[in-house]
Amino acid sequence: MMTRLLFLATAVSLSGCAATTTIDEFRPTDQLMDLAAGEKVVVLGRRDAGHYETDRAFVECVGDKLRGPNINLMSEQEFMDSIYPWFEPRTAPKNLTRLTRLMEVPMVRERIDEREIRYIVWLDGNTETGGAMGSMSCSFSPAGGGCLGFTQWDKESAYEAVVWDLKDLTEKGRVRVDSEGTSYVIGVVAPIPLLSPVKSNACSGLGNQLRSYFSQELG
Amino acid sequence: MKVLRLTTKLQLTLAALAFALTTGCASSTSVVVEADFPTVVYEPRDIRAAVVFEPAFREYIAQPTADVLIDIGGAQVDLLSNAFDGLFEQVEYPASREAVDPDTELVIVPSVQQVQMSTPSDSYLNVYEVWIKYSLDIETGDGVPVDSWFMPAYGKTPDSLLLSRSKAIREAALIALRDAGAKLLLDFYRIPAIYGWMQQEGRLEEADSS
Repeated sequence: MMTRLLFLATAVSLSGCAATTTIDEFRPTDQLMDLAAGEKVVVLGRRDAGHYETDRAFVECVGDKLRGPNINLMSEQEFMDSIYPWFEPRTAPKNLTRLTRLMEVPMVRERIDEREIRYIVWLDGNTETGGAMGSMSCSFSPAGGGCLGFTQWDKESAYEAVVWDLKDLTEKGRVRVDSEGTSYVIGVVAPIPLLSPVKSNACSGLGNQLRSYFSQELG
Repeated sequence: MKVLRLTTKLQLTLAALAFALTTGCASSTSVVVEADFPTVVYEPRDIRAAVVFEPAFREYIAQPTADVLIDIGGAQVDLLSNAFDGLFEQVEYPASREAVDPDTELVIVPSVQQVQMSTPSDSYLNVYEVWIKYSLDIETGDGVPVDSWFMPAYGKTPDSLLLSRSKAIREAALIALRDAGAKLLLDFYRIPAIYGWMQQEGRLEEADSS
């Protein structure tokens, strides 16, 4: 009876660990985006919100998903350094009107053209943890130790990517990804973590969708 | 009797452990901010300026809280030198105000007014934040005050399990320094007193026509 209960609890927990991911996109056209040999894409995180930051690890993750044989990527830091001070959190253009005005500065336009940067992908969002429930206690002594209990928490990721074309100064697409899931830790002597891959699913969803804008093959 | 001795030993061990843990928790953080700052993408104006980094500024160590020291002296000199090189066509960095060349048009003496810091435990936000409040005393080469410009800079970095407290503070301070450079470059010629001085010196027409 006990074995069956444990098996059932594990099965329920494992099925609960899956993350639900929803991807919404808006594109004015479904044609592939032009990217000539040598032209680069740069993925940047928005960091002007007061209470959160689009973290660098997520920006790198999306960049890694996007990178391919036909897609050259410039790293966020390299881009920010090469165009300093125009893409710092305080100074980065928030919309196409501001971008158009910025590109009218001759030195900025020259630098962008020199580095062959064709597209900017702006990422904005974060992952929040909430709904923590349950409790677990662990104790250790010279005779041995162990954990007993059960705890769970919810994670919710919401990110939006906006693609700007620096050649004709237009928006080429917008993708929104929402991912949520519940993670558990079961303490039966040893703590057994059953983690829901919320953030990595959001990254894969966003990265693969963006990659399909440039190329048909998905990695 | 033996049981009593064992209990006393256990109590002493527990007391020592508690003391070690308590003193261990009261640690201080000392951070040195060092970085190679990028050269700026900015068209300098044909102005001959001198920037005086006084020793107190060059060696500035901030103490935003009782247990945190942030050494930003060297980094802020590097960063602001880069920014001033982008603002003016000719810039000198004399050791003192007295050593400024008499042909200099503008003399700038930066100083730090205050450095503040906020950690996730202070703000209940998932970020480390650093504010640096600069003051730029600006005068003409012959000593006529132009303005004393207040320049706040801000940097934040997300909290992370993989990021140590000192690394997070260093990153936030670095972002604040970059922000200071950005603000200086973008806002310097918008300072009303600087705009007025340029108008008076007939420099606006030159800048607009170039």
